[in-house]
Amino acid sequence: MFSYLIRRILIAVPLLLGVVFIVIASFDLVPGDPAALILGEFATESAVAELRAELGLDRPLLVRYADTVVNLLQGDLGRSLTERRPVAVILGETFPLTAQLAGAAIALVLLVGIPLGLIAAMRPGSWIDNVIRVVSLAGLSMPVFWTGLVFMVIFSVNLGITPVSGTGTWRHLILPSVTLALPSIAVIARMTRSTVLEVLREDFIRTARAKGISERSVLVKHMLRNAMIPIVTVLGLQLGQMLGGAVLTETVFAWPGVGRLTVFAIFNRDYPLMQGVVMVLAMVYVGVNLLVDLSYGLFDPRVRYA
Amino acid sequence: MSLPEPGSSAPSPQASAPSGGAHEARRKALRRFFGNKLGVAGAVIVVGFILMAIFAPYLAPFDPAEQSLLNRRQAPNATYWLGTDEFGRDILSRIIYGARVSLGVALGSVGIGLIVGSTAGAIAGYVGGAVDTLVMRVMDLLLAFPYLLLAIVIVSALGPGMTNTIIAIAVWTVPAFARVARSAVLQIKERDFVVAALALGAKEQRVMRVHLLPNFGATLVVYASLYLAYAILMESALSFLGLGVQPPRASWAGMISNGRNYLTAAPHIATIPGVAIALAVLGFNLLGDAIRDVYDPRATRDG
Amino acid sequence: MRHVRSVLAVLTVLALLAGVGLAQKTLTIARPTDPVSLDPHFETTAPGSWVFSQILEPLITVNQDMEIEGRLATDWEFIDDTRLRFTLRQGVTFSDGTPFDAEAVKYTWDRAWDEERPGRWKSLAGPVEGVEIVDDYTVDLVAAQPYGPLLLTATMPYTGIVSPTAAEELGDDFGRQPVGTGPFTFVEWRANDRITLEANDDYWGGRPNLDRVVFRTIPEEGARMLSLRAGEVDMVLMPTPSDLPALESDPNFVVEGAPGVGVFYLAFNLDRDAVADVRVRQAVAHAIDRELIVEAILEGGGVLATSVIGEPVFGYKDMELLERYPYDPERARELLEEAGYARGSDGFMVDENGDRLVLELLPSNGRSLKDREIAETLQEFLRQAGIDVEMDIFEWATTFELMRGATLDYDLNSFTWFTTTADADYTMYSNYVSTELPPASWNRWRYANDDVDEWLKAARASLDMDEREELYHRVQDQLAHDLPAIPLYGSYEVAALRANVEGFVAHPIQYLLDLHPVDIVD
Repeated sequence: MFSYLIRRILIAVPLLLGVVFIVIASFDLVPGDPAALILGEFATESAVAELRAELGLDRPLLVRYADTVVNLLQGDLGRSLTERRPVAVILGETFPLTAQLAGAAIALVLLVGIPLGLIAAMRPGSWIDNVIRVVSLAGLSMPVFWTGLVFMVIFSVNLGITPVSGTGTWRHLILPSVTLALPSIAVIARMTRSTVLEVLREDFIRTARAKGISERSVLVKHMLRNAMIPIVTVLGLQLGQMLGGAVLTETVFAWPGVGRLTVFAIFNRDYPLMQGVVMVLAMVYVGVNLLVDLSYGLFDPRVRYA
Repeated sequence: MSLPEPGSSAPSPQASAPSGGAHEARRKALRRFFGNKLGVAGAVIVVGFILMAIFAPYLAPFDPAEQSLLNRRQAPNATYWLGTDEFGRDILSRIIYGARVSLGVALGSVGIGLIVGSTAGAIAGYVGGAVDTLVMRVMDLLLAFPYLLLAIVIVSALGPGMTNTIIAIAVWTVPAFARVARSAVLQIKERDFVVAALALGAKEQRVMRVHLLPNFGATLVVYASLYLAYAILMESALSFLGLGVQPPRASWAGMISNGRNYLTAAPHIATIPGVAIALAVLGFNLLGDAIRDVYDPRATRDG
Repeated sequence: MRHVRSVLAVLTVLALLAGVGLAQKTLTIARPTDPVSLDPHFETTAPGSWVFSQILEPLITVNQDMEIEGRLATDWEFIDDTRLRFTLRQGVTFSDGTPFDAEAVKYTWDRAWDEERPGRWKSLAGPVEGVEIVDDYTVDLVAAQPYGPLLLTATMPYTGIVSPTAAEELGDDFGRQPVGTGPFTFVEWRANDRITLEANDDYWGGRPNLDRVVFRTIPEEGARMLSLRAGEVDMVLMPTPSDLPALESDPNFVVEGAPGVGVFYLAFNLDRDAVADVRVRQAVAHAIDRELIVEAILEGGGVLATSVIGEPVFGYKDMELLERYPYDPERARELLEEAGYARGSDGFMVDENGDRLVLELLPSNGRSLKDREIAETLQEFLRQAGIDVEMDIFEWATTFELMRGATLDYDLNSFTWFTTTADADYTMYSNYVSTELPPASWNRWRYANDDVDEWLKAARASLDMDEREELYHRVQDQLAHDLPAIPLYGSYEVAALRANVEGFVAHPIQYLLDLHPVDIVD
């Protein structure tokens, strides 16, 4: 088990080196000069060139890469080019906010998505099954910036029960987390439904039923357990995407999280900041995957971590 | 037992050795498909939208780019059946032409992702060893990179436009299909009929084509239908950030993105394309489910 | 006993008064973006200036009527062609207790002119060399040669005087928590969320009416407006134009606006063959219904532009564009025919080889009010006149790099230019002198006219305001004929407020926001 964990964490190292390389290489591929952007519309060309040199942007790709890796090994994420603050500090401010949002959204997905899928799977082909399928797909197909604004009009302006935007209290979390959760609820409900149907057809369930074991016990002990593996896998993917991709929800609800930071970093060509964001999200990705894999052991005793 | 592969989340492919009477099987499959009402509805929606896209110039009552600023933001009426947008352009005509862009981007990007991803994944799973490790590490890299950031980098590097939008979204769908294909191949590889075929001296290529593809095809179809919805959402995200297709062309998501500023003054501008997207997503998913049922001999009409 | 009772009564009254005093007056302002820094030397955006100009004050400023007013200077006069003398206000202290004097002024300008890390606006200040101390409360602002815009340069918000003690102590962090002499002091900055300021009790001009000011960052336009309606914010800067009529007719809200110093224009790249011919440029001008664009797209968020500089700017003259180039698509086609194009069968104009007349447009996107929408409308107007417009809409970083490039591979680009000093020199010199080419400067149209060069240089070097004005008028007449750029709309600085906010007057210069007299009443 321990050596398994070590191995999994070591696998993350080339991954991190890879994402950092993509960020640094994108500086050469993507037009836009951070120095010119920082200096604004009125800067002279020589001022821009000076700043470029000061920021070390005039060096060749591999030199910049090696330099960055050495700094990272020393635990130095660098300073944001635009804000002139340590990237680590900025991430420390934003990441917890995104984690709150993603956590609340994932909880909603679990509490709503899985039961919806179960209900649908219990009576496949029934009207309730069809309603759940159609409604959840509708949730999947509306862009979040649209649902978010509609929720604001209804719940904040007309009913006055939630704040329009911003952070502060738990009530600020309601609309953004529901908005963020909607597409994932649809995906999880679908996934739950189809995996449960698969499992129900497996022989061991039939055997269990034939043996006269109560329906509830069949459901809980055998079916849910077996169905959880694919569900947890998708849940993990969704969580990863929420942590990294809540850009639109964060923008609409003025939520100062990692998603907006990511877009800010790329739009301002703030490469150290981009690098920091991408590294943290890659680590989150590795961590979530690891947790998902470890959870398989809970649901399926046959899984061994060799 | 080894660890299940993350991403083996798709309904596991049902292995069934292809039986003899292909003709008979096809008839059965068709009958099963047409017995599925929702599936038929899905097919009707999808075919309808595709026809609409193809015959757009004949169907659209107005030139979709023609502005009439004095007639802007009109609610649906006798002249403009679905009203006009913020430039006084006919929304119905833009929906009809927008099908070309939205379906084109969705089908194009998912198509590329499907072909590239499942080929890479299937090869990785089938060959195993170093090839497997290399392919899957690259896929991990793509998955670990925040997808919207990747899309913005790609669009910024290549320039905006429909083709580059398709590429940017495709890059993001590739790893998902690769994972699904790989885990499906891994599972099927162990099944008796494949082992038997190989033992009997069947060529590997033939084994892949005859035995493997049909068996994970169903899984991929379901995935693809889901990813069509994701692709449309991705395109909406790019439109939101101002990086979608270029005017005067419009995608449905772009119409929502532009219309959202008139949410209180003229809600129909953003709502109507939203309905179009919802219908299309619904159609593709119902169709995808039905196709999976047809391929899955054990599934009853429960898609 | 009676004594005790009266003491109690007094205490009760005091407690009540204190209770009233405790009802804090907080003004919450929503705007789309967070500043990058609050250091006036390193921040060039309006969202930054809105905040730091509450905390830091320049020596002089321009008020809403475009008159010069003293802030930290009580008096000023030119003592010769290159030297402007300021008498400083006495008895002022920075909010950290540091006294304000000539040293602080000198420190601020030296910091902005630092060789190693010059302030961002140094390049705007032409031949200005810096500040010399005359005595404790007198300084001279010195230019290397006679410089007409010198006085207006000193009014720019970027010249806000910083506390030398705090600037030394904080270094880079000064931009996160600035210290100055202004009516408000810095409390807290939660990145991309909110910046909180509180009243400076010891402000030399009297304590402001407000207790706190909170600047919230709400990027989504719709969400900003909904926040105002829901009562979460009291003021929205850069509100949605289409929502303004509804707000104006609602007694709960007021809309305050002033014509600004920015002009949004469609600019030609004269290096490109297609638009090098003035008749083609004039045809484009005839093809665009500018009045309709202002009415239908801007909907009160902008005013019809009448020159390449805004009306409140010194040196402005109406270029009479509506009279010279009225909207007339047929006239546009005739001009194109004169320029050698013919009417093609598909409605587009074609050249002698039968190739369609295609103009490539690089529009600003998400940078100025309705810029993307206007690009779409321009494309359609030009199509009606037989000109095919192809455009590339990028995000700002890419557009900015392309616009600044030494060569520009587009025939047209659109952009807003703000004359931040409110002096025509600021825009005219960098935009129209033939040697001021990108990437070093901003003559993006590659405009070259010897007369214009001469007039602009003379106007810069003169201190005679009447002479300068006359020279700028001449330049505008010439530009109206040569048409290197077509002004489309002038900025309109507008704020939507809740009706209980009093004392706010919109400022033509979009960087300036005067919150000192603002009050919230019930």
